[in-house]
Amino acid sequence: MEETPAVQINRLVKEFPSPFRKTKVRAVNDVSLKIMPGEVYGLIGPNGSGKSTTMKALLGLLRPTAGSCHVFGKNSLKTDSRQEIGFLPENPYFYKHLTGEETLRFYAKLCGLRGKKIKTRVDEMLEMVSLQDARKRRIGGYSKGMLQRIGLAQALIHEPRLLILDEPTAGVDPVGSRQIRDLIVSLRERGVTVFLCSHLLEQVQEVCDHVGIIFNGSLVKEGRLDDLIAIEDQTEVVIRHASDHTLTKIRDVINDSKNTEFVRMGKPRTTLERLFLDEAKKSDSLLVDKDTLPHVVIASTNKKGGDHA
Amino acid sequence: MLLLLQQIRKEEIMRKNSFFSPSRILVIASHTFTQLVRMKVFYFLAVFALLMIAASFFEMPYSRTTEDTAEQELIILKSTAMGSMAMFSVLFAIAATALLIPKDLEDRTLYTILSKPVPRLDYLIGKLSGVLLLVVVSLLLMDGLLCLILNYRTDGLLAVELEKARAQGWPKEYIQMRHDSITQQGVTWDLHAGVAAIFFKATIMASIALLISTFSSSTLFTIVISVVIYFVGHFTADARNYWLHSHGSNVSQELKMASQGVALIFPDFQLYNIIDATIEGKTVSASIIKKLTVLTLFYTGIYSVLAWFTFRKKEF
Repeated sequence: MEETPAVQINRLVKEFPSPFRKTKVRAVNDVSLKIMPGEVYGLIGPNGSGKSTTMKALLGLLRPTAGSCHVFGKNSLKTDSRQEIGFLPENPYFYKHLTGEETLRFYAKLCGLRGKKIKTRVDEMLEMVSLQDARKRRIGGYSKGMLQRIGLAQALIHEPRLLILDEPTAGVDPVGSRQIRDLIVSLRERGVTVFLCSHLLEQVQEVCDHVGIIFNGSLVKEGRLDDLIAIEDQTEVVIRHASDHTLTKIRDVINDSKNTEFVRMGKPRTTLERLFLDEAKKSDSLLVDKDTLPHVVIASTNKKGGDHA
Repeated sequence: MLLLLQQIRKEEIMRKNSFFSPSRILVIASHTFTQLVRMKVFYFLAVFALLMIAASFFEMPYSRTTEDTAEQELIILKSTAMGSMAMFSVLFAIAATALLIPKDLEDRTLYTILSKPVPRLDYLIGKLSGVLLLVVVSLLLMDGLLCLILNYRTDGLLAVELEKARAQGWPKEYIQMRHDSITQQGVTWDLHAGVAAIFFKATIMASIALLISTFSSSTLFTIVISVVIYFVGHFTADARNYWLHSHGSNVSQELKMASQGVALIFPDFQLYNIIDATIEGKTVSASIIKKLTVLTLFYTGIYSVLAWFTFRKKEF
C-alpha cells in the first residue's frame, strides 16, 4: 500500500484582490508539491515569491483560489488536519504576560493534552530547547533566539508528525541558529517531517534533503537536494596529510588519463559560521553557556566539528 | 510496529478534535482573563473605591420641606455606584473585546493558535467568555464594595434618624415606617438585580464589539462604532414609537418589519431600565429578570453567530 504523503499540494493558486484595480494579484500560481513522511523539505525563493502564502494555505489560514492542500490525507481547510501540524511563524511573538512554562501549558491544553501529560511534555520541550532556567521568566523578557526556541517548543508540544517553519533562523545569532538547525536534524532522525522556508540558502542546504525553488508564485525547480546540486561531470576527492610528492603524482595520473581534465587542487575551506562557532566554544564565557545546551545539540555539533577536522 | 505504538500513545493523550469544545473554550477564556488581569485593568477598582468613599461622605443639606434626606443620601450613593459600575463595565466590555483579536493578529499569536486544532468558533467564544469573566469579577467586587459601604451608611443613618424620631416622640408605627423606608434604600436583592442588568448590557456590548472586530482592521473604529451603537440603543425604542405614532396607519407591514430589523442591529437598552428603578429602591419582579436574561442571550447569540460567520472564512 502506498504511504500517504505528509504534505500534498495540488495545483495551488492563490489570488488576492488588488485595491483600485479590477485584476487580482496572483501570489501563488499552480504550485504542486509532495512531501513524504520523514523528509525535510526546504522552500526557497526571494521576498514576495509566494513561500509564506503557500505555507498559510497549508495551515488553513488562507483559502486556495484553486487547487487544494492536504496534510496526511486531510484537507488543510479542516481543523482536524492541524492535529498533525506544528507551526512556527516568522518572527513569532507570544503572549508577553505569560512565562515560558505557562506559554507551553497554554498551547498544550489547546491541543487537547490533559493532566500529567501536560507537565511531562512541557518539561521535555523546555529541556529540548534549553530553556529550563528561563521557564519562570515572562516571555516579554526573552531574547530573539529564546523566542524562536520557545516557538519551536510550542510547535512540537503535541508531538506533531509535520513541522512547518517559516524562516526559523531569521534574526537569530549563529549559536542560536546552530541550535535550531541541530534540533531540525534531530527531529528528522526521529521521523518528523519538516517543511521550512528560508532565505539562508546555506542553512537550507545543510538540513534539507528535498528543495523547491519558487519564483513569482511558480515552483521553478524541485527535487532531491543531492540531485539538484551535484555537478554530474566532476568528482571531488578529499585527502588528509598528502605530501607534495603524492599530490604531484595524482595530478600526473589525471593528466595522463584519456578524457579527464584536471580542474583545481587546494585546501578545503571551513565556513565563517563554523569558524565563529569553534571560537565561541573555546571562549570561557561560552563554556558556561555550553553546559546549558541540550545533550543532543552538543553531541551533534561535536560530531560535525569532528567530521571537518 | 514502532509507528503503530507511537500512534496508539498519541491517541491515548489526545482526544478527538470536536467542532465545539467547552474545555478548549475554557482554556482560551481563562487565558484571556489572565491576560487582561495582567494588563492591570483592576487598578480601576481603586478609582471606584475612592468614588464610593467620597460619595459616602456626602450629606444632603437639612431641609424643612423634606423628611427623606436620609433616603436621598442613600439614593445618591447608589446612583454614583451604579453609574460608575455601568460605565466601567461597558467600557471594559467594548475596549477589551475590541483590543484582543487585532492584538493577536498584530503579534501573530493568532497564527500559532489557529494553526493548532482550534476551531475558530472556539477561539471567538473563548475570547468573549474571557472578557465577560473579567466583567463579572469586576462587577462582583464593585457590588461587594457598594454593599459594604451602603450597609455601613444605612446603619449610621438609621441610628441617627430613629433617635431623632424617638426624641420628637413619634408613635411606634411611624418609627417603624421610617425604619422600613430607610432600609428599603439599603442593600436589597433588587439592587443586585440592577447589577445583573448592568452585566447584561455589558454582555451585549461585548458581543457587538466582537462582531465589529471580526471585520474591522482598526481597534479605534471598533470602539467608536460600538459606543455609537450603545448610545443609539438607548433611544431606538422612543424613536421607533414616535415614528410609528406620527405616521399612524400609513405605515406598511414591510416598514414595521424593517423597524423591527433596526431593533436587532441597535438593541433596545431601554428595556434594561430596571437599573434606575433599583437605585430608587423599587422592587424588581423575577419575571422581568427572566425576560432580560432571555433577551440578553438572544442578542448575544445573534451577534456571536454573525461574528463567527464573518470570522470563519477570514484570511490571515
